[in-house]
Amino acid sequence: MTDSLSRRDMIAATAAALAVPLLPVKAPTAPAAVGLSGKFLTPAEYALLDELTELIIPSDAHSPGARAAGVAGYIDSRLAESLEPERQALWRSGLEAVDGLSRELSGQPFLTATPDQRVTVLTSMAAGERDPKTPPERFFGELKRWTVRGYYTSKIGIHVDQEYKGNVYQQGEFAGFDAQ
Amino acid sequence: MTLVRVPPPLQQDVDLSQTYDAVIVGSGAAGGMAAHVLTTRGLRVLMLEAGKKLPIEQELRSMQWPYDHPRRGDAPPGSHAVSFNEYTIRQPPYAKGSAFKHVYSYVGGWSGSDYVKNILVDEKDHPYTGTRYAWVRARCLGGKTNIWGRLALRLSDYDFKAKSHDGYGEDWPISYTDLAPYYDKVDLYLGISGVKENLPHLPDSLFQRPTKLNFAEVKLRQSLAKTGQVLTPYRAGVTTDGLKHNKYRSKCYGRGACHRRPGGCDIHAVFDSPTGLIYPAMDTGYLTVRPNSIAYEVLVDKNTGRARGVSFLDSETRKSYAAKAKVVILAASTLESARLLLLSRSPQHPNGLGNSSGHVGHNFCEHVMGPGVTGLVKELVGKPHTLDDGRPGGFYIPRFRNLKDRQPGFIRGYGFEGNSGHSMFPAHVMSTPGFGAQFKKTVRDYAGAFISMGAFGEVLPRYESHVDLDPELKDGWGIPVLRFHYQFSDNERKMAEDMAATGREMLEAAGIEVVGQDREILTEGWSIHELGTARMGNDPKTSVLSQFQQSHDVRNLFVVDGSSHVSASCQNPTWTIMALAWRSCEYLADEFRKGNL
Repeated sequence: MTDSLSRRDMIAATAAALAVPLLPVKAPTAPAAVGLSGKFLTPAEYALLDELTELIIPSDAHSPGARAAGVAGYIDSRLAESLEPERQALWRSGLEAVDGLSRELSGQPFLTATPDQRVTVLTSMAAGERDPKTPPERFFGELKRWTVRGYYTSKIGIHVDQEYKGNVYQQGEFAGFDAQ
Repeated sequence: MTLVRVPPPLQQDVDLSQTYDAVIVGSGAAGGMAAHVLTTRGLRVLMLEAGKKLPIEQELRSMQWPYDHPRRGDAPPGSHAVSFNEYTIRQPPYAKGSAFKHVYSYVGGWSGSDYVKNILVDEKDHPYTGTRYAWVRARCLGGKTNIWGRLALRLSDYDFKAKSHDGYGEDWPISYTDLAPYYDKVDLYLGISGVKENLPHLPDSLFQRPTKLNFAEVKLRQSLAKTGQVLTPYRAGVTTDGLKHNKYRSKCYGRGACHRRPGGCDIHAVFDSPTGLIYPAMDTGYLTVRPNSIAYEVLVDKNTGRARGVSFLDSETRKSYAAKAKVVILAASTLESARLLLLSRSPQHPNGLGNSSGHVGHNFCEHVMGPGVTGLVKELVGKPHTLDDGRPGGFYIPRFRNLKDRQPGFIRGYGFEGNSGHSMFPAHVMSTPGFGAQFKKTVRDYAGAFISMGAFGEVLPRYESHVDLDPELKDGWGIPVLRFHYQFSDNERKMAEDMAATGREMLEAAGIEVVGQDREILTEGWSIHELGTARMGNDPKTSVLSQFQQSHDVRNLFVVDGSSHVSASCQNPTWTIMALAWRSCEYLADEFRKGNL
């Protein structure tokens, strides 16, 4: 019994080991996107967005976060090709509002504030998540929606964080239980 | 793995000088079935399809990972899908005044919109007017069967004889025993997966091996069984064991693509009309297919009043042509077939073809949807993620209302479609509050721990529920468009209240915590199950078609799609559309050989 259990565990561990190294997983401490210019966003806006996405989905012991998954780059490229000036303007003014709120709360622009101060800013933005009223609160919904979309459709999000098992050919029996 | 065979080539120049035995307008489930049956019987058939023949495997790309797509599956910029909110506050035509280059129905707003942008019609070229209606149309070879929801159910005498049961509407001119042999033929020819449940109100099919249930679904099935209710694995129009007689379709490998709405299966394990019906019919040598052919009138012989062919526009050249045939078969979809009949006015048929009853366009019905429920299965929180994807659907809970009981608030019934388990994209992510490490862990821990289901209910056919031609507006090809006069009534609203309450009770009885509840009814049309604009019946004064979907007025005219349905039932219609078309086309071929058409 113990024997067979440990063999099953070993098979599972081997399968996981086979699956994971194929993916280009960056170190959990991927460097921040300082000085990088986006296709749409300015270098300063891009760096701010990159930090915000990583705060929403940070790296942890289980899986890398939004920065490693390239979420800011994904959002930026979607904004760059957008044919909706209102959407582009919304992001530009939204990022500006984050800095504005940061100055208000800590006297610093977001990226020069301390990590704790940044969390305080985002916490304040997220407070109105269910019923957003201020511009930063409204921007939080948009920011989160695109961050999670970028992250959970990325290689890291799907395979490493979610450990998604599907999108494979099942050669024998289908997975699951019979309807008995 | 080579699972897809090259389809037979289309003829470059279709011969329009000859008179075909039959011309079929439309290439979806109904048109494909008509082509299959008639070519098998040796009739020479021309099929006209308004849309293109798409390289469908390249459109669907069923197993493409989101990160291998530049916009993670989204359609290119400039595309817009009409949202629920827009349908609610605006009147059609929904693309009117839109700044977007392309406007699609709400289906174009589902994840994976890039995979259907060439399948769905652009609302800009295909407007309609009147009351609110979310009209989803697919113009391409195979029509909506390329992206259908795959739930393949039979109707029973609770449906065919519904009037006898509760006094409302009309009975169908057939009963279950008339159609059962044809359901069997459809099952065997196209493949269907499911589990036998021996229910009189949801007859079993001749099933191939079923898809499986996951933990939460088994839990709910066992709980429902205590009160005599049934949760059964999704009855899917999918070949799970393969079809020896069809070289164009692979068996189902339980891949992960089915979770992606809109679906589509690029190895054609799911039934679609081109690989399931049209290509095999072309291989007989009796079928000619002409895509890009927009039919706008059924031609009538001045002397006899009989149909003699179909006028159509080539969508590429905009030139007009006539296809000549001894029999005309409409299979353009419930609403497009009605439109075509109404467009075909002549001195003998001043109200439109086959419309001496005045019922063409009327008795329009469908399914009402919206109410549903989501539950949290606590035992699954934090558990390792399992392979729950790669199923054509989750489960189905058949109708249980107004079978033996009589509900005080409404007649007829509804069923639930549902799903549980781990999916590629964690659907609960936006309803998980906050951000940061705890948010991320919560999303991970709760992924796969939810079960949700939504109801599909029967909408009563009413004479006043109808479509007619808009006197002014024309589509992108100069053809008058449809105008809707159609709204849900009190019966649907009362039924919807019961859907929401009962869905909640079902989950709670199973010990599943309800964490989400939808009560709102979705816009008319949302179910994409429009039916009944040229209903069958024995009385030519109150019906358009005979029990063999033959026009009462014009004996060489048949309408073999959902427009013939007398009532909507609450079961999804595709399998019934094909069984009826098979039965009617057998009759058609017999009559044709006897010289009666």
